[in-house]
Amino acid sequence: MTILVVDDSRIMRNIIKNTLTGNSRYAHAQYLESPDGREAQRIISSQKIDLLLLDWNMPMLNGLELVKKLRADPLYAKLPIIMITSESAKYSVIEAVKAGVNDYLIKPVSEKLLMEKLERLGF
Amino acid sequence: MNIRHIEPFIDATVGVFREMFGLEPDFLNPYLLQRDDRNEWDISGIIGIGGDSKGVVVVSLSGELAQALTAQLLGGGVATDDDVVDAVGELVNIIAGNAKKGLEEYRLDISLPSIVRGPDHKIAWQQNVPIIGIPFKIPLGRFHLSIGLENIITG
Repeated sequence: MTILVVDDSRIMRNIIKNTLTGNSRYAHAQYLESPDGREAQRIISSQKIDLLLLDWNMPMLNGLELVKKLRADPLYAKLPIIMITSESAKYSVIEAVKAGVNDYLIKPVSEKLLMEKLERLGF
Repeated sequence: MNIRHIEPFIDATVGVFREMFGLEPDFLNPYLLQRDDRNEWDISGIIGIGGDSKGVVVVSLSGELAQALTAQLLGGGVATDDDVVDAVGELVNIIAGNAKKGLEEYRLDISLPSIVRGPDHKIAWQQNVPIIGIPFKIPLGRFHLSIGLENIITG
């Protein structure tokens, strides 16, 4: 399984990766990282990604814009995406779901909630 | 001062410190910041607010506290300057983003964080927008939250 973690904070990317690798189920996954949506788009188009963990507020191309681009492409219409963001308002969650995210997690990252969401997506 | 619109920021700050650092911050009474108040901090993380209001959310810390909190997020060791900038930016981003849940009657957009560094650095606040200061204390030290939201938080 290849998981792409996209967040402009290197520390946050590490926290997410460490949270996952601390669980035996995800310890052996391959982890790729990107600090912005544009670089993430390049990675996604160059290799197979099984799961995208995506921040919203980022430079170059933000997470919401990336979701819209991916969902507009039949190749990535079913790529599992969990948005992990500080954006906590209901209207933000609705906007992200309408754009096509499979699930939504509000920072700070709760290990329990992240695991629940991954299991719900079948990982 | 409209406390109802300040509470979401206090709740977000307390929640973020509880979840990210396992700490329960105490806070003192919010006060109206004077534009010439001296800033006694070494680093500030700044988020601009747009949408239904214009404003700013600022978290200010001593260099020592910023270093300690960053090291905790890294799981120990010594944090580099880049790590500290990253951590303070993420901290203010999460506080501002979490506070939006308590202000859902307004559509607010948050900017990417900016960082200002230097002993006693001065922040040039927006004119005509009251800035509310809230001092916080945790066992590792003190930090400060400053909030201004045009037409939402009034002095």
